[in-house]
Amino acid sequence: MNVHVSFYSYFKDLAGTSRFMATVPEGSTIGDLCQQLVARFPKLAGMQKSTLIAVGVDYQDRDHVLNEGDEVSLFPPVQGG
Amino acid sequence: MKRFLTITTCPIEESALLAQRRMSQSMGAAVYFSGVVRVEEDGKNIRALEYEAFEPMVQHQFELIFREMEKRWPIESVRLVHRIGIVKVNDSSLWVEVIAPHRGEAFAACQYLIDEMKRVVPIWKKPVA
Repeated sequence: MNVHVSFYSYFKDLAGTSRFMATVPEGSTIGDLCQQLVARFPKLAGMQKSTLIAVGVDYQDRDHVLNEGDEVSLFPPVQGG
Repeated sequence: MKRFLTITTCPIEESALLAQRRMSQSMGAAVYFSGVVRVEEDGKNIRALEYEAFEPMVQHQFELIFREMEKRWPIESVRLVHRIGIVKVNDSSLWVEVIAPHRGEAFAACQYLIDEMKRVVPIWKKPVA
């Protein structure tokens, strides 16, 4: 199945893109997706512990199971204000 | 609780915001906060900060915070304006106002709103040299 991945802030620079379409097996979790993303974008590897992840507009944990067409966003700690 | 959230590239006009204030007669406290861009970021002088937002999620996360504020305190209204794009040194990047019956709850709610914003609302900044 396909999921859309968006990168924000300096994660865009590390990935070299703001959008990526990932293909993952049915039943994959965010953790599985992250492994694939780190393999595809090695510069993200060092950021794993501080990465925040959302599906749609809600935060999700790495054990969250993905669905076809999900919009997944990865970004560093937020800095508003 | 009335809520007014503005994410904008335009300068924050504090005098206009203050002129638009509405308080019912049972409200006794209006607390507001203005966050201003400092000249120094991570030990280096800057000209500005550039703010980026994941706007649909910004709206949603602020709404979750507002709902929690509503549960905790008897707030009449909250107004929040956050700049995105380039914000020059000395300019305001954030303006928040909370109106409540008493100062304790107004201060507490304002502090909570800003703390939660800095924890969960997807806005980022980068220095402009």
